[in-house]
Amino acid sequence: MSIATSTPETVMNPSATEASTRPGISLRGLTKEFAVRRKRVRALDDVSFDAPEGSFVALLGPSGCGKSTILRILADLEQPTSGSAEVHGDPPEVIRRRHELGIAFQEAALLPWRSVVANIKLPLQVSGVEVGDQAIHDLIKLVGLEGFEQARPNQLSGGMRQRVAIARALVVDPKVLLLDEPFGALDEMTRQRLNLELQRIWTERSATTLLVTHSISEAVFLADVVAVMSARPGRIVARVPIDLPRPRTPDLMRSPEFHAYCDQFSDLLFSRGVAPSGDDT
Amino acid sequence: MMVASPPLGERLGASARRAVPGLLGFASFLLVWEVVGRIVNSGRRIPLIPPFSAVIQAILDDGWSYYGPNLGTTLKYAFDGWVIGNVLAVLAAALVLLVPKLELVVLQLGVTTYCLPLVAVAPLVFLVYTGPTPYRIITVLFVFFTTLVLALAGLRSADPTSLDVIRAYGGGRLEGLRRVRIISALPWIFSGLRIAGPAAVLGAVLAEFFQPADRGLGVGIIRSQQQLQVERTWGIAVVSTLIGAAAYLIVGGIARAATPWAPKVDA
Repeated sequence: MSIATSTPETVMNPSATEASTRPGISLRGLTKEFAVRRKRVRALDDVSFDAPEGSFVALLGPSGCGKSTILRILADLEQPTSGSAEVHGDPPEVIRRRHELGIAFQEAALLPWRSVVANIKLPLQVSGVEVGDQAIHDLIKLVGLEGFEQARPNQLSGGMRQRVAIARALVVDPKVLLLDEPFGALDEMTRQRLNLELQRIWTERSATTLLVTHSISEAVFLADVVAVMSARPGRIVARVPIDLPRPRTPDLMRSPEFHAYCDQFSDLLFSRGVAPSGDDT
Repeated sequence: MMVASPPLGERLGASARRAVPGLLGFASFLLVWEVVGRIVNSGRRIPLIPPFSAVIQAILDDGWSYYGPNLGTTLKYAFDGWVIGNVLAVLAAALVLLVPKLELVVLQLGVTTYCLPLVAVAPLVFLVYTGPTPYRIITVLFVFFTTLVLALAGLRSADPTSLDVIRAYGGGRLEGLRRVRIISALPWIFSGLRIAGPAAVLGAVLAEFFQPADRGLGVGIIRSQQQLQVERTWGIAVVSTLIGAAAYLIVGGIARAATPWAPKVDA
């Protein structure tokens, strides 16, 4: 079994499904240390990774491997201790100030006093980007929330709240989409259905996407390229292009190719002792 | 899926059922009062603890011609102090959030207003100021600190992920304060305003003890005591308590109407 590791050379060898060769997400020697009770804890250790513009990247790893930290650095919510991160050739701060960023977290983080529509419009109010009512309507249709425009978050199920969060992430028509386990707190059935829809949504909106996940099948199902991470300190141990045709269907999940990828990632995550014994973040 | 809220009639019925134990408790309290009052006062010409019925009779006898002007004066001071104290407290909390270095100073100031013994402060305030000002200042001292602490806790209770969302779309600290923090803090601030209601009434009544003016509930208590009108003293105390409770309930009602998304707080 040959595994492409995270050396810059592998970038120049994109798989057939990777859309372009222009730089999308680019990490160079990214290191992040946190101070925890006077001790310095290294969350990320010299992480380098590249993916072309327009590709769907999954960061796969156990809890506490620093995958969310990478996402937060790309969103300019955290600063790296050393190294650099670039999106489409620009540092995250520039991307953020240009409002080219869409983001969704594990918690929907909707404002409880706002209706579905008002929550989706929040990024527009903050960024000053203008979008017509028709576009908002299309977006609500895209995520399947027609008829719930005026509902409040506490009237919605967990899955529907995440749909709102995804719509909110897409409303500024972002060039880069950052998803931090957006369906991680949902039950398996809802999660699979939403992943199918996420693929459809992503196909309609060609944003460079980074999905943080600890689900192997989710990563294989959605991504063009999967970066496998190990914990403490967080490192990328493999960069695996997923060469499966799109659109991917639930049938594909029963195919031998799909299972071969899943087995490969299980090997990487478990036999190498990548997963830590304790489960904490 | 959508969760349908129960019809209005059903909800009213449910809240009425919840109110039953409280009402029973209150009724038994009044009964004990009545009995104790009758026993303690037997054989006395001037009652020590007038029974509940006698106090109510005194209130009715005094009527609006007595209570109207006295209430008006005290409530004016209480309301002014309530508004000023709460506005100052919320502004101070927002200031601390924008300039975190000020936290210690502002909180120390707040604790001081809360801990200063009234007997020490009130005469000074009346020495420095005249007219209605000193009454208002003392009332402000009664409401400032609790609202400050609750407003500060409320502004900090905002969901950090929501603040991350604001930041990811290019928003700064002020945008986070405006769109997320202040609104998340509203249920907390309303709790502060509720507690401040009875506190403001108490503050205004107590202020009148130090410098009795022509009118006011506090003045009424002093005069009726001097004139051995014990039922009237108790009557004024009952009315003051009712006013404080009403203030608490009214602000609570406004809070529920203004923040329907907030988790319910009973009582």
